Parts: sequence; structure tokens; C-alpha cells
Amino acid sequence: MKTSTKLLTLLLLWGMTLPMLGQELSPQEIVRKADEKFNGEKTSISQMAMTIVRPTWERTVELKSWSSGREYSLTLITAPAKDKGQSFLKRDNEMWSWNPTIDRLIKLPPSMMSQGWMGSDYTNDDILKESSVVNDYDHEIIGEELIEDRLCYKIKMVAKEDAAVIWGFQIRWIDKKDFLFLKSELYDEDGYLIRTELGKEIKSMGGRLIPSLLEIIPEEEEGQLTIVKIKEIEFNTPIKDSFFSQQNMKRVR
Amino acid sequence: MNNLNLAWRNLWRNRRRTMITSASIFFAVFFALVMRSIQLGSYDHMYKNVIESYTGYIQVQHKDFWDEKIVDNTFAYDRQLERQLLEDENVEASIPRFESFALASNGPQTKGVLVMGVDPEKERYLSKVTDKMVKYRLTPEALEKIKQDSNLPEKVKELAILFENSAYTNNSRLQLDLGIDDKLASEIMPSIESYTAFQNASIHMGEPGVWVGDKLSQYLQLGIGDTIVLISQGYHATTAAGKYEIKGIVKLPLPDIDNKIVYLPLDICQELYNAEGNLTSLALAVSNNRDKTIAETVQRISKLVSEEHKVMEWREMNEVMVSQMDADDKGGQIMLGILYLVIAFGVFGTVLMLTAERKREFGVLVAIGMQKKKLASIMTLEMLLIGLLGILSGALVASVLILYGVEHPIVFKGETAKMFEEYGMEPKMAFWTIGTYYISQILIVVLMVLLAIGYPIRKIFGMNLVNALRA
Repeated sequence: MKTSTKLLTLLLLWGMTLPMLGQELSPQEIVRKADEKFNGEKTSISQMAMTIVRPTWERTVELKSWSSGREYSLTLITAPAKDKGQSFLKRDNEMWSWNPTIDRLIKLPPSMMSQGWMGSDYTNDDILKESSVVNDYDHEIIGEELIEDRLCYKIKMVAKEDAAVIWGFQIRWIDKKDFLFLKSELYDEDGYLIRTELGKEIKSMGGRLIPSLLEIIPEEEEGQLTIVKIKEIEFNTPIKDSFFSQQNMKRVR
Repeated sequence: MNNLNLAWRNLWRNRRRTMITSASIFFAVFFALVMRSIQLGSYDHMYKNVIESYTGYIQVQHKDFWDEKIVDNTFAYDRQLERQLLEDENVEASIPRFESFALASNGPQTKGVLVMGVDPEKERYLSKVTDKMVKYRLTPEALEKIKQDSNLPEKVKELAILFENSAYTNNSRLQLDLGIDDKLASEIMPSIESYTAFQNASIHMGEPGVWVGDKLSQYLQLGIGDTIVLISQGYHATTAAGKYEIKGIVKLPLPDIDNKIVYLPLDICQELYNAEGNLTSLALAVSNNRDKTIAETVQRISKLVSEEHKVMEWREMNEVMVSQMDADDKGGQIMLGILYLVIAFGVFGTVLMLTAERKREFGVLVAIGMQKKKLASIMTLEMLLIGLLGILSGALVASVLILYGVEHPIVFKGETAKMFEEYGMEPKMAFWTIGTYYISQILIVVLMVLLAIGYPIRKIFGMNLVNALRA
């Protein structure tokens, strides 16, 4: 009797702690889940439209992108006609661009990393994603907030000292239920807000729920904005590593 | 006997003294004028080079272009506005341009370049870029032929080796660099010209093809018929990329621009930057380039253009050069100041000695009844005559030299010429013709003489007769 009560209590306690353990994800785990959710655990293939908004004009570029893990990615511009056929390859921490009009393969030098990609508010470094939101930061949950009626973890990520990261710290709002990046604020080393990123229009795409519209708002430039709309996305379709080659940059359609 | 007569005779009583005093004034005037002439001449030459081969005197631009020279700050080529501008009395021609930067490459060689979209026909009114096409070049092959030609003197061959790979837009410069005098020229220049002749073609509107600067072509190791690749950012952040055949090589008198310029036909350039029909500037060729007239023209034109445009004058567009010249000018004036100071002391020294020498003479003159006032006025006249002599002879000799220099600017050759070019200057020293700067220089010398007169006058009036007689 005594032992059975003990056993029961233990079972009960265990049963109670189990869901609680599920709740108590570490902040690092939350960020990792959100990162994988959006970028795919293994690979992703997507079609997007990027609209660059400037005070006096705006322009849309359409692109197709393949990526495999953190290491490889290939992006092809499909519209407008004048830019069509340009491709960008990332292998580890090197980046090349191919321009069919001049038959040139150009390796992007480190000095160009902070420049806007295709004139957008995305920098080449953002495309390269040399740093990892999971491994290069120390994470801390600093609260919970509602973003567009969704309850979010508010996580402060401070860059590790030895990490090659251009941001001082980031604050990210991650949906509690589906692990989606709904809002990110990126600060420089002096604590000034440099850029805000918003995830909007949450939809089921490629078999999972993700924000299908991303807005990148640089804080220092009035009236500037880049909107990335995901038109199609597939996750974890096997892609061979050999797909991400300089030869393929010229061939890929 | 009147004072002037007495003064004149006094002067020639001691010729050597007079000559020494007036010689010091002569040199002051001579050096000041020649120095100033060369200075003003070089500024004028530099300005002309930059203005006439590049910016022009007046430009109409998009209002933000000057502050931010990006392709987005361009304006539509408005033919109606152009017609209105051409109606202005001082505007001779309007030259549409599309100017931007790009990365140029040939194989592993890459360089940031200045891309100029031009209408080659219209450039005749301003930059005359067709005249700057390379006609002769001392290529290794040409050198080989020169070396083997037994009719050519050894000295010419040596100089030719020194100038290997130099390009020339006319034969007179080639002749000068090779140290060939006019007598010999008719004999040997035709064969040298045939050895060094350089095949160059023009670019035309609507035909893809470029001209590149001579220095740039050497850096990128590109020749006629080769392909140059240009990459840049186009209108509204599009990609601007293109490859073009090199039709010709131009040599601009400004080495700083020569090593980075690429000329494209205007419409091809607009297409490259995805800005069809747009211009970065409309340069205006003027018939009268005097500062005041230019300012008036700018005022009139500013009324014609819309708020989207801005009218710029050459001074604003070449601010760096103008302030460099100003700084150089101030430096030159300080040098002149030092020159004047040295000469003023020289003049004063001779006057001091002269007064001491003639102390007894003055004493005797006063003792026999000459009024001190009369003596002082004779002395003043003497000094003025000496001054006049120095100034007139100085100005005369300087003028001869300057007038000759205006016609025949000093052109450096050989190693010196190379050195000048390495500093980014044209190896040429121009003179500025006789002008208003004469007045200020001469006035300063007159003032110097007048100051020097003060000393003997004071001595005369303060003379102690007994002491003076004993001197």
C-alpha cells in the first residue's frame, strides 16, 4: 500500500511535470525551432517577389532560390527582363554572382558585404547568413507580448563576444504556438535600432505555417522599405550538394 | 636752373651709384611681373583644360545631382527646354551628357572608371574629344622600326626608347619629345609618323562601342578591338552591366581624368544604366567666357529652367580646383611679398649709403645758401627718376619676355616632362599676357621708392650744418 501510493504519487508528479517540461523550452531552443521552421531543417526551394520601396519610386524583382542547410544557396533572378538570368551562389562563406549580359562570374569581395543586395535593404551579408541566430548569440526570454493577436516570446539575443556578427543585439518576437519570427529588431553595438523586420500574412505553405510576407524597414532611411513576398515554397526536397556549383549558376532555370 | 635739370645732372654725376640703385628696382619689377605672369598663365591654362575638356562653363543638372551623383538624380532630356536655352545670346550650343561611375574590367584587371555618355558630334562644341584621339604611339614594334632606320640620328632613337608606349594626339608633340628640330623635321618626321601611326576609329550614336583614356587602356591592358566590361548600378537600383568593343583611344590633357575615363555614345550609355532619355547634365558652350558675362547668363538661364533643375557655373563645379588655385595664388603672393621685402631693403640700403656719401655735399650746398626745401625737392626728383628708370626698364624687358612667352609657352620635354605628368600636370608653362596685374605690381614698387625717399629728406631737414661740413 505504502509503495503503491508512493508509485502513484510519483506517476502523478511525473505526469504533471511532463507537459511542464514541454513548456519550459530553453530560449535557444525556441530560436532554433523558429529558424528551422522558416529555413527548413534540410533544404528549401522558394519563389519570391521582392519589392524595393523608395520615397520616389519602387521596383519589383522576382527570384527563385534554392538552399541547403546553412552552407549552400543559389538564387536566380527571373524578372524583370533586364535583370533576368543573373544568379548568386553562396558556398560556405563565399559568394559569387553571375551576369549573363557580360558573361562574368564575379566573386563578391568582403568590402561589398554591407552593400544592399540588388539595391534592396537586404545586405549581401544577410543573404550569406554567415552568422547563426542560434549559435552566435546568448538568448534570454525577457517577456511575452501580443503581435497581431498572437502571443509571442520576446527574446533578447546578445551577440557572443567572439562571434563575427554585425549586430550588437537583437530582440525577436517568436510565436509561442507555431514558432514563427513575427518581429525582429536589430540593434548595433551602441544600442541604436538599425532595422526592423516584420513577418506578416501567416499562411500554410509547403506544408507548414509560415509568414508569407517579410518587411525589412531600415530605421535611418525615411520612406525606405523592402517587402519580400513568398509565392511558393517547398521544404526538405532533397538537393545534391553538386547543384550549388558555378557551372549550375549559368545553367539553372 | 630748375630742379629737374639739377636732379638729372646729379644722377649722371655718379653713374655707378645711379645704376646700382635703379638695377635693384629693375629686378624687383622684372621678377614680380614675370612671376605673376607665369602664375596667372598656369591658372588660366589649368582652368581652360578642365573646363573645356570636361565640365564646360555652365551646366544644367537635376537639382540633387551635384550633392549626390547617382543615376537616380537625372532628368529627362527636354528638347523644348534645350531650344529655349539655345535662344540665349551667350549660349552657342548645348551638349547632352550622361555621366556615372562603373567598375571596368578586362580579365583580372579591374578599375573604377568615370563613364561619360556623349554625343560625339555635339562634343565638338566643347570638349572637342575627337581632337584628342591618339594618332601616334611609340609601340615596341614602332620602336623596332625606328631603331633599324639608319637615316635617324642616334639621339632620336634614345629619346624614342625613353618615351616607349607614349601616345600622341598630334605630330608636333611627338617631334618635340623626340628632340627633332624644325629643319630636320621635314626630312625624318614622315617616316617616324608612318612607323608610329595609330589606327583609331570614332564612336557614333546608336552604335555600341567605346573610347577609353590612354592611361586607362594601359592599366587595363586593352587595345583597339578588345572588349571592356562595365558593371555598375543603374536607374532605380537595376543592374547596369555591358560589354563593349573599344573603338578608339583618347589622350586627355588631364592625367587624372585620362586614367579613368570611358566614353560611350549617349544613347548606349542611357541603355546601359536603364535610364533611356535621361541626362545627368546639359553642358552649355558659351560665346563669351568672361566671369561677369557667365554670371549674367546663369541668371537668365535659371529663370528658364524648372524647379527640378539647377544651373551650375564652372567655379561651383570645380570647387576643389578653384580653391587649390586660390591657395597656390596666396602662396605665390607671399613669395612676391618676400621678394619685395628683400628688394625694399636693397633700395633702402643704397639710399642710406647715398645719403651718407653726400652728407658733406649737402652741408656745403646749404652753407652757400641753398634752401633746404629746394635741396629736398631735388633729392626727391632724383629718387623718383631712379625709380622711374628701374620700373620702366624692368617693365619693358619683362613685357618682351612675356609677350614672347604668350606666343611660345615653355613646353618641357624628356625626363622633366615625364615628371610633370607623374604629378598630374601637363608639362607646359604658359604666360599670361600683359594685363591689369601690371598696375598693382608697379604701384607697390613706386610705394617702396617713396618710402625710401623719406630717409634722405629727414636727414636734409634735420641737418646740423657744422657736423655736415666736417663729414
